[in-house]
Amino acid sequence: MFFFSAATYNGHRIHYDRSWATEVEGYPELLVQGPLQSALLARSITDWIGGRGRLLRLSFQNRAVAYPGDPMRFEGTVIAVDVESGTVELSVLATKGGSGEVLMPGTATVRLPRRA
Amino acid sequence: MNGDTTHDDLIDDEARARIGTELSRGTGTVVAKEFQRWAASVKDRNPLYFDADYARSQGYRDVVMPPMYLGQVTQGVYDLDRLRPDGIPLGDGAGDVALARTPKRLAGGEEITFHEPVYDGDVITAVRVVESIEQKQGRSGPFVMMRSRVTYTRQDGSVVAEAFGTLIAKP
Repeated sequence: MFFFSAATYNGHRIHYDRSWATEVEGYPELLVQGPLQSALLARSITDWIGGRGRLLRLSFQNRAVAYPGDPMRFEGTVIAVDVESGTVELSVLATKGGSGEVLMPGTATVRLPRRA
Repeated sequence: MNGDTTHDDLIDDEARARIGTELSRGTGTVVAKEFQRWAASVKDRNPLYFDADYARSQGYRDVVMPPMYLGQVTQGVYDLDRLRPDGIPLGDGAGDVALARTPKRLAGGEEITFHEPVYDGDVITAVRVVESIEQKQGRSGPFVMMRSRVTYTRQDGSVVAEAFGTLIAKP
């Protein structure tokens, strides 16, 4: 999380200063950066589509925060396939692994390579 | 729409006047090492981002910028003497829209459409336009929802991506 804050030039203390997050802002823990959650969601899609797949569109809602140590679960469901263009519509979802709390619901459009 | 203060009382006239206008504009150059550091921090070791030979074998001309890194390209340099106590630079968040009556900010969500791959050395300009500012009633009370559209353009004028974002502002 520290390296993500550094790589995104994000100085917000709630992501790295535990006493600030808990004592000043009243959170139970440090907060996982929202853009880190969405980057992990995107990673789960780009890992699935592979090097020749293209992420064309990603839409998500930020519903809840995650805390360090929370297991995160990412899942996707194919909801439509357009064979002509090679595009696939997905419903995607990030949840907390233990409680199942919804972190980010969303949808995505990808283009998959065609078999020769 | 403007005299209806009982309904939209969290939105001041200054914020309302920004609807439909350009909120911010930034330009930045894509640097492979910076997007690779970002990808490493996400533990995303996709070889498209790190291995030029692999990227070429997949039809690209060089290592590719991770799509979700795009918003970082145009980030500026902060004056570290002008940070708020929580570490956020002064004026950040809703950009130039003050929304003084709703200081708490939360990201609501985003929809990004990627048109073109982006490479090291590309110069990206991001222009943010306010689409709407509306007051809503939530379970925990009223809040303000600001929608904005960011258009990312490359040096040759082609639009590489568009993003619609929602910002939630609470009293």
